[in-house]
Amino acid sequence: MSRRIVEIKGKRLSLSNLEKDLYPSYGFTKAHILDYYRRISKFILPHLKDRALTLKRYPEGVNEEYFFEKRCPSHKPEWVKTAILRLEEGEKMTACLVNNLETLIWVANLASLELHVPLARVDSPDVPDSMVFDLDPGDKANILHCASVSLILRDILQKLRLKSYIKTSGKKGLHVYVPLNSKGITFKDTKKFSKAVAGMMQKEYPDLVTSKMAKEYRKGKVFINWAQNDSKKTMICVYSLRAVKKPTVSFPLSWKELERLAKRGDPEKFHIIYSEAIKRVKKNGDLFKDMLTKKQRLPHL
Amino acid sequence: MAEQGIWSGTISFSLVAIPVQLVRAIEPGRVSFRMLHSKDYSPLQRRMFCPEEEKIIPSEEIIRGYEIAPNKHILVTEEELESVSPERSRTIEISEFIDLNEVDPIYFGHPYYLVPSKGGEKAYRLLVEVMNRTNKAGIAKFVLDEREYFVTLKSAKGVLELITLHYYDEIIPDKDILPKEKEIDVDDKNRIKKHIKKMMADFDSEKYADRRRKKIMAILKKKLKEKKLVEAPATEEEEGETEDLVALLKKSMRPTRKKSSKGTKKKK
Repeated sequence: MSRRIVEIKGKRLSLSNLEKDLYPSYGFTKAHILDYYRRISKFILPHLKDRALTLKRYPEGVNEEYFFEKRCPSHKPEWVKTAILRLEEGEKMTACLVNNLETLIWVANLASLELHVPLARVDSPDVPDSMVFDLDPGDKANILHCASVSLILRDILQKLRLKSYIKTSGKKGLHVYVPLNSKGITFKDTKKFSKAVAGMMQKEYPDLVTSKMAKEYRKGKVFINWAQNDSKKTMICVYSLRAVKKPTVSFPLSWKELERLAKRGDPEKFHIIYSEAIKRVKKNGDLFKDMLTKKQRLPHL
Repeated sequence: MAEQGIWSGTISFSLVAIPVQLVRAIEPGRVSFRMLHSKDYSPLQRRMFCPEEEKIIPSEEIIRGYEIAPNKHILVTEEELESVSPERSRTIEISEFIDLNEVDPIYFGHPYYLVPSKGGEKAYRLLVEVMNRTNKAGIAKFVLDEREYFVTLKSAKGVLELITLHYYDEIIPDKDILPKEKEIDVDDKNRIKKHIKKMMADFDSEKYADRRRKKIMAILKKKLKEKKLVEAPATEEEEGETEDLVALLKKSMRPTRKKSSKGTKKKK
């Protein structure tokens, strides 16, 4: 196993297997992955900050076995920031906080291609700073169906005076986010609200939408996964790579672009590859930055 | 160092509300070991394994079933579980005071301490004092981690203890396991009585210690002294020249094959 030692901001870090091809059909190696995260770091770090990271590691690449790791690996460098989370029965767990470039590179070096984080930060684990609608196409549906649903959802939220934002999942779906950043809102509130909206949409658009988890209800429809609004759940972080054939990214889109893509009707066009992601953030900045600051309150339904 | 609270909220009864924190009262004495790989001493992890597919299963593909017969299960969704979990609550509402002597210790579950939060010190002291004097314990319901517990609050040496109690249904009735009674001989009875009387002592918990734990700790101490340690393969090597990240990555990156792979033709 080849190892190289680098120094980032005075922190020593050993990198392994930089030549290993982790996206074999694309020739995208560990070095490419580290380089992507280095270049996107300014944009992804604010969204990872102070959130308990779930690593999703692909030691042998995207076609092989992967595993989730919620606990911060015990062989971490001592400068990696961690938080202690409380589990049931008073048990505790240490989670990694990716608060700086060196930790991001360390995590990427562990072949954690995907970075998953909860909707709340560690100092207030019961207070989500956003609400999410995870739009997941069932069998025989695709991202275009998700796009139609997202536009309906956007309009409903707008009527409720809630501004929403959208990103691709980087796989088959879309994620609609509503920034809240308000104290006193709990996951119970966001879950109840999102469930009500999803239920309402299922009633209004029964051929397009389901709010039921079971696979048999999802055929040809878009499943609005409201249950992601939970302190125990995580979402793929915006700007994270996804472990699919091509190195795609979970990437934010403007509603205008989404409308355009929906009209165009080519599901492939929704996929933002790593190089495109870098190009776009350089040009447009962080389309998801309101997620960090915009304060909104949930109205009563 | 103060123990970090597991839960914070208020104790309430009639018109009193006392802000408190729940902290652990027990530090389990069991010596626990990590499982290591004998070849390179890496700490091992548990995974969910599907024997049918002979594959490790990711958490997103794991659901819950209630077993009714081998390989026959009733599926239970998270939604259903959610719907039966109690309202989250920040209060320990004392509903009754009882004489703790009336409670069979078989009901006692896990003990915790309740300590006063800021501003609650005075009321807390008062409650501890009065409960101590009257020798009464409170009975309350309490929600922790989406589960509702039935608990008792008792005063002990200036601190409130919260002890979870088992529900009635959880206790296995003793009549189910006892053999049928036979007549007892009076002499036998008196003899046993005498024996017990001879062996009477005051309860002194410090007299008893976990001897196995002590012995294990002694072995560990000895090995530590002899520096008998093994190390997992280091991921962070301290020695060696460092390189510049950007330069190293540039050097290591070959062009990707985006053009050659089918179905991923470059689209501008």
